[in-house]
Order: sequence, then structure tokens, then C-alpha cells
Amino acid sequence: MTPRLRIGLLGLAGLCLLPAIWKVAAALPPFGEPTAQYGPAVNRLGPELRHVSNMVSAVNFDFRGFDTLGEEFMLVCAVTGAAMLLRGARGEDLSARAGRVEGRAVIGRAESTILISRLFGPATLLFGLYMALHATVTPGGGFQGGVVIASGLLLTYLGEGYRGWRQLIGSRVLDAIEGGGALLFALAGFAPMAFGRAYMQNILPLGTFKDVFSGGLMLVENAGVALAVTGGFAMLFLEFMEETRALESESGG
Amino acid sequence: MSVLPWLVAAWLFGIGLYGIASSRSFIHLIGCLSVCQSSTYVLLLGIGYRWGAVAPVFYDHPPGTPAVDPVVQALVLTDIVVGATVTALLLAMALQVDRKYGELDPQKLRPLVAKARR
Repeated sequence: MTPRLRIGLLGLAGLCLLPAIWKVAAALPPFGEPTAQYGPAVNRLGPELRHVSNMVSAVNFDFRGFDTLGEEFMLVCAVTGAAMLLRGARGEDLSARAGRVEGRAVIGRAESTILISRLFGPATLLFGLYMALHATVTPGGGFQGGVVIASGLLLTYLGEGYRGWRQLIGSRVLDAIEGGGALLFALAGFAPMAFGRAYMQNILPLGTFKDVFSGGLMLVENAGVALAVTGGFAMLFLEFMEETRALESESGG
Repeated sequence: MSVLPWLVAAWLFGIGLYGIASSRSFIHLIGCLSVCQSSTYVLLLGIGYRWGAVAPVFYDHPPGTPAVDPVVQALVLTDIVVGATVTALLLAMALQVDRKYGELDPQKLRPLVAKARR
């Protein structure tokens, strides 16, 4: 099939679907005046029922916590799959040396890069931790905080180089953080069942509104997500970095 | 002006789909898939938006202030994070395909052709 034929077929399929698309598009609510009832109900009742001020976290970890469990395991599956694909071709062994492609010049890091990375790396880690811990109070949460922490780890790599980075972070630790986080989320759901309640029912004390320790069980689930996201993103980065080493051995180095 | 967000979402989805259909490299195809994915974020956030409303975080505003829909925001938030890892999985697959066949053009990667060549 030539590319032109493929585009033609795509256009034809689009034309066939056009009446249906048009019907759905015409039924969309006007922008800025939503008609959904679920979200406003959460906004109205959330602060009172769960003592939290961040409604997005309340939806993620409490009202629709079961859906987030699914998302969490999608994340773990994707990360595990990527790690297995890469390790399957390369082998389990990891090295503390970065790979080199023969014939490509190795350009050292500029001192300004090291300075900026050392200044902002720890600050980014701290900010990520802050975001993850204040999930139920201010904008943020385990998902965002985990990604910011993983970005901080990236900055640490830029500042310290591959060898220093590998000394700091063990692959086994990342495996444990990633899987342990998902496990913590699932177990937090089972805990209420030991007391004869429903799965993931919020039975812990809810705490005070606008306090870090508010939301009860949400805090445990949020910690699980933060761990899994941090471990997952850091592991992906590590695995793709190890790919450069595989390249080295292929080129006969 | 109120149709603009829907048009942006449709345009993003359209160019992403065009890119996927006309792609000549899996890396490019994965990038196009991410563009398609972004269109759903625009659509979802557009559906939840309310004129003159605040973010659904009642820290600076007292509870009861008109706020935008938190459900779609939670959807988009988790999807951005999960989508990034799925993209990484797809890129790992592309790496394996390249290692096995030395080729990243979907056009030249028909399974039957690959088998016949061996």
C-alpha cells in the first residue's frame, strides 16, 4: 500500500464517519457552561465529606480511587514491559560506565551545567517532595510530585555524570520503589475490608481541613502513587541510558 | 469564540492521525500518537471549563466558590503520567524492531516480506 493510498483510505474513512462525528460535535455543551453534574457535586460536597481542599486529589484517591488503581497498574505494566524489552535484548547486568559510540567525540560537561544542575537538582527534589506530600491541600499530588522528583534525579545525572548517578541510585532500589508503591496502593484498598468495610472505604481519621494530614486513607494511596511514579520514571531513564552501553558493545568496544 | 477549544482539539487529532497514516518511521509515528493523545486533553479540559470559575482547590477560596470540573482534571492528570510511560514502552518496542530488522519504516516491515527474505 503506497502512502498516497493510505492517506486516501484515511480520508474516505473520515468521510464515512463524518455524519456521526458531526452529530456528537453538535451535542457538545457550549464552551464554559458545562452541563455535567458529577464534578460540581464533588466540589460542593468534597470539602465537607473528606476534609480536603484539593478536589482533584479527592477524585483521584477517594471518590474514583478504584479507577486510579487501574491507572496505577497500567503505569506499572508499561514500565515493566519497557524494562523487560530492553533488558531482554541486553541482559540483566548493569554497568557504572556510560556507553560511547565509536567515532563520535565525547564532549565534557561545561562547568556552568554542573553548577546549575547542582543548584537546581536538590531544589527540584525538594519541590517534588513538597508537591507529593501536600496532595490533599494545594495543587499537586503523587502523580505530579513523582514526575518532579524523577526530573530532579535527571538534573542530578546532568550534574554528577553517569558514574556518580549510578553510585547514588541502585536499579534494585528503583524496582522495589516502583513495585512497592503499587502494592501499597492496592493494600491500602484492602485494609478497610479487614474491618468489614467496603474496598477502599476511607476509614482513617480525616484530619483537619487545610492541614497536611487531612484526607485519611488518601494520604496512604497518594504515597503509593508517588513512589510508583518516581520509581517508574527513574527506571525508564536508567534503562534507556543502559541502551547506550549496549551500543558500545555492538560496535566492538 | 466559544467553538475555538473544540476546533483546536479536532485540529490536533487530525494532524496526529494524518501523521500516523503517512508515517515513514516508527519514532515519528509514536510522536504523532502523542499529538493525538494531547487532543483528548484539550477536549476534556474544555468540557470541564466554566467561565469565571477558579481551580477546584479550595485553599485560597472558601468552599462553595464556583470551580471548574475536577473529574476531567483528574482524568487528564493521570493520563499524562501514564501516557508518558506508554510512550516509553512503544519506543522500547521500536528499538527492538530496529535491532531485529534494521528498519523502522512501517511500509517496509510487512511480516510476510520479512519472513520470505530469511
